[in-house]
This record gives sequence, structure tokens and C-alpha cells, in this order.
Amino acid sequence: MTLDPRDAVATGGVGELVPAATEQAGAPMRQANLWRDAWRRYLQNKGAVVAGAAFLAFAAFCLLWPIMSPYDIKEDPVNFSEAYEGPSLQHPLGTDQLGKDLLTKLALGGRISIAIGIGATLAILLIGVVYGSIAGFVGGRLDNIQMRLLDALYGLPYLPFAIIVLAIIGTNNLWTMVIALSIASWFTAARIVRGQVITLKENDYVRAAKAVGARWYRILSRHLLPNTLGILIIAIFLELPGVILGEAFLSFIGLGISPPDASLGSMAQEGRAVYRVHPNMIVIPSVAVALLVLCANFIADGMRDALDPRTRETKEH
Amino acid sequence: MTAFIIRRLLWTIPVLLLVIFLTFILMRQIEGNPFRQTSRAVPPAIQRNLERKFNLDEPWYVQYALYVKGVFTFDLGPSLVNRDRTVNDIIKEHFPKSLELGLLAFIWAILIGIPMGVIAALRQNSAYDYTLMFLSNVGYAIPSFLIATLLIYYVSLKAGLLPTNGWENWKYKILPSFALGLAPMAYFARLVRGSMLETLQQDYVRTAKAKGLRYRRIVVVHVLRNSLIPAITAMAPLLGFIITGTFVIEIIFSIPGIGRYFVQSVSSRDYSVVMGITVLTSVVIVLANLVVDIMYGILDPRTRDARS
Repeated sequence: MTLDPRDAVATGGVGELVPAATEQAGAPMRQANLWRDAWRRYLQNKGAVVAGAAFLAFAAFCLLWPIMSPYDIKEDPVNFSEAYEGPSLQHPLGTDQLGKDLLTKLALGGRISIAIGIGATLAILLIGVVYGSIAGFVGGRLDNIQMRLLDALYGLPYLPFAIIVLAIIGTNNLWTMVIALSIASWFTAARIVRGQVITLKENDYVRAAKAVGARWYRILSRHLLPNTLGILIIAIFLELPGVILGEAFLSFIGLGISPPDASLGSMAQEGRAVYRVHPNMIVIPSVAVALLVLCANFIADGMRDALDPRTRETKEH
Repeated sequence: MTAFIIRRLLWTIPVLLLVIFLTFILMRQIEGNPFRQTSRAVPPAIQRNLERKFNLDEPWYVQYALYVKGVFTFDLGPSLVNRDRTVNDIIKEHFPKSLELGLLAFIWAILIGIPMGVIAALRQNSAYDYTLMFLSNVGYAIPSFLIATLLIYYVSLKAGLLPTNGWENWKYKILPSFALGLAPMAYFARLVRGSMLETLQQDYVRTAKAKGLRYRRIVVVHVLRNSLIPAITAMAPLLGFIITGTFVIEIIFSIPGIGRYFVQSVSSRDYSVVMGITVLTSVVIVLANLVVDIMYGILDPRTRDARS
């Protein structure tokens, strides 16, 4: 039993706490409870907690290790006598074809891959929210045209689409990869947002807001979009694995990140040339990709159970 | 039912036109025309002739109309790099191999993925369930180039059981199709498990149990049939996996398929080939969605009106 006043109100408990609580506006109070409930439900899912911790740990490693590491991949001199060494105390994961520390290189590659993954996911959500909320909010003929366009876009194959967008831009770096991957995969996010906006639009509180004369932008920004937040957070972790894999595939076939920059995918591509003799060169970055994708999938499952209890109930039947 | 199929068929035409249009617009955005750039530059007079030959001197809408006409009459024009070959020749040579690879991967996914899902659902929360679902989560996350490399390393190089690369007899086809089929397999397993668990809760299953039917018969007749229907809708994302996967798998195993050719064509700026392959892939996706919708309409009559 907690002594939080908000719990007391919710359960109709201790009388003297009620006046203090009612001073606050009703909506934020329930909201706080919603997020806290979601957090509690998330913590109950052990797989999701472990995955979340592993994801954060790997991200922190990628961010911090290159600063702490005694090796500097770009500045260190090439040293062929130390190339392709196995794991040792100096080099926990061994060395690459130029005798450079693989652990440090992995962290740098992970940085690029995670940055592309997060950047493209946010861009996907941004495009999806704008496109989907216009379609869902305006409705009618515009909605119809927008959805037919989406139908056609769904017909375009993901990887070739991204490759063509990269060819149009003409250069391959972190930013152009973010643009290409997000342009090739925002459709599902747009559909999700549109569906949610249409469902919410029929709610009584939206009608009430309209009835008291709220303008459209107020209804959209105050009532509709905040209520899509839960679904958007789930969508982040649903999109992330696809984008990370997309980046890895593009770089692996040589049409993504290219030297001197390195992502996990382009490290795997370098490793492919020597996998018969030094399989760890391709296995290490690939396992890192698999780990990121696996964690993101588990986090997405946990988020869905936490933020969208409806699906949880049908799942647990 | 016939009305539903006809409506769905007619709807495919504007979608195809729009897909071709989008590809066309995209390809036009790539800088310059192929003869003006790079080392293949030619004298102005020849350039004008070439542009006339490929209709590059016409306004864009005429070019688009000509291209659409080409797609519907199965003529995708000449390759810009290998000028003695047409895009049709290239597709005819390389596409069947990719198609075979994709179908074999799909068979792996069905043969292993569906039983995995069924067993996990029937033994829910048992060690079987946890192991199978863990495997499926891992299989879903592993990039196909990792599994392909591991297979080549252990099965081909260490054990010497199967060839490392190429595309000749059945021995060459086992490893690539398995590597490509792993993600769809994992996807199927999770989907079938979820769908089975839901069906097992239905009233008609309880009725069947109550009237004393044998468990095996309930599972086969009542549960399995109804829970495999949702698996059909999964074909669309599965096709996506498989198409994306062929690019990588064909390169690793040196399979002369269309994905590998696409990547080479992007590097050599052979835009008519890039465009032809993209349009072909789009047509495959659109047609697959059409087939899935019609099959779903036949198997589950409730969806006919909602989906039209």
C-alpha cells in the first residue's frame, strides 16, 4: 500500500487528502497514473527489462569507449605485423586487417549504426505523424487520395527504393542514409497515426472541444496528437530493428556507408573478404547487429504490453 | 464473390500505373542522362541520335506513356551499358534464379516455421514453447549475412558437405535458401503460435471438447485450419523479407540472380536495368498482394466488403 495521494483519490481512500488532490487539474493526474502504470507493467516483463538494459549498455559502450580506449582508429599508425590477431589482453576482440583494435572499431561502428537507426526512426515518425494526421484529421477526398498514394508506395520494394533514393542524392554518409531509409519506410507509421487519429476524432471530449469552439489546430495539438504518443513510442521500437537491418544490408552490399567511415554493416562487408581465414571479422559486427535488433524487438513487445493494455489482454487469454 | 474479385483486379491497374510513375519520377531525378556523364561520353551528334533512339528528347509525359506501354507489352527497353542486350534478356536470364531461391526459402519457412508455431502453442508455457520462441526471436534478429557466413564456414569449409557458392544442382541451393528462409521461418513460427492460442480459446473448440472429440481431431480439424488463415496475410511482409534478403544472399553465395545484377547495375549506372528490375519487383509485390486479398476473401468471407 503506497501513501501517494493520487492513489488515495483513485481508490477513494483517506478523506483529508482529497481536497489537496482536487486542486490539481484532473487530466494531468490521470496521465501521471497512466505513465506510472505503464512503467510498472513494463518492469513486470523480464525479457523487456533485460533487453532494455542491454540496449542501453551497448549504446553507452559505443558512446564512451572510443573516448576511454587507449587506441585511436583514425590516428593510430597502420601496423601489419599485428594484423588479424586473436583476442588478447591488449585487444579483447583482436585486431583488424590494419592491426587496429577491433573493440574500439566496433564501438565506432555501433555509434554510426545506432545514430542512423535512431535518426531514421525519428524521421519516419515525423513524416508519419504529419502525413497520417492530415489524412485522418481532414478525411474525405484528401484522405482517400493520400491512402491510394500509400497503397502504391507499399508496392515499391524497400531496399531498391532506398538504393534509388541514395543514387538521387549522390553521396553516401550518415545523413543521406537516414534520408534514404526513412523515405523508403515511413508508410506503416503514417497508417498507424491516421488510424489512431480517426478513432480518437469520434471521442466525446473532441466533440465537446469542438462544441465550445476550439480551433482545429488546438484540437489536433491538444487532444489528438498527445493521445497517439503511446502508439508512437511503440512504433519507435517496431521501426528501429528494420532500419538497423536496412542500414546493415545496404552497407554490406557496398551501397551504404563507405570508408573512411564505418558502420556495423560496412565492418561486416570488410570482414566478408577474409571470412574463410578470419571469421571473427564478420561475426563480431554481425552479432552486434543481431543483438541490437533482438533487444529492440523485446523492448517493442514490452512497450506494447505496457502502453496498449488492450493487446495484452487478448494475448493473455 | 465474383464482384469482389473483379473489383480487386480493376483496382490493381491504377496502383500499378502509380507505382510505375513513382519509379519513373525517381529515376528521372538522378543527375543528368546516362550518356552525358562519366567515361561513356560521346560526341554531340551521336549523343543527339542516342537521345532520339531512347526517346530522351521527348517531354517527360511522352516518355512516361512510352514506358508504361513498354511495361504492359513486356518490353523494358535496351540496357544502357551492355548495349547489345535488352532489359528483357537480362531479366529472362537472371530472374528465374531469384524466383527459385525465393520459393525454396519460402518452402523452408513453411516446413519448419509452421510446425514450430503449432508445437509452441499446443505446449504453451512449457520448455518447448520457451525454447522455440527464443529460437524464433533470435532467428528473426540475425542478419542473413551472418547466418549465411556461418553456414558456409561450418557446413562448406569445415565439414565439406556442400558447395560454398554458385547455383548449379540441388546441392548448391540448400544453404542459400535456408539462410534466406530463416527470418520468414521465425516470423511464421511467432504468427502461427499467436493465432493458434487465440483459436484454442474459441467457443467452438470448447464445444468440440465438451462433446468428447479426440484432442488430435480437434486440433487438426478445428484449430489448425482456422489458425492458418491469418498466416496467409503474412505473405506480404514475408515477400518483403525475401526480396530484401535475395540482394544479400545472392552476393554472398555468388548466385547470378536479379538482386546481384541490380546492385551491379546501380554501380555501373545502368538506369534502364535498375528501373526495369524495380518495376518488375513492384509488379510482383502488387500481384502478390492481389492474390493474398483474393485468397483471404475466399477463405474468410467477412473480409470481402471491408477490404474492397
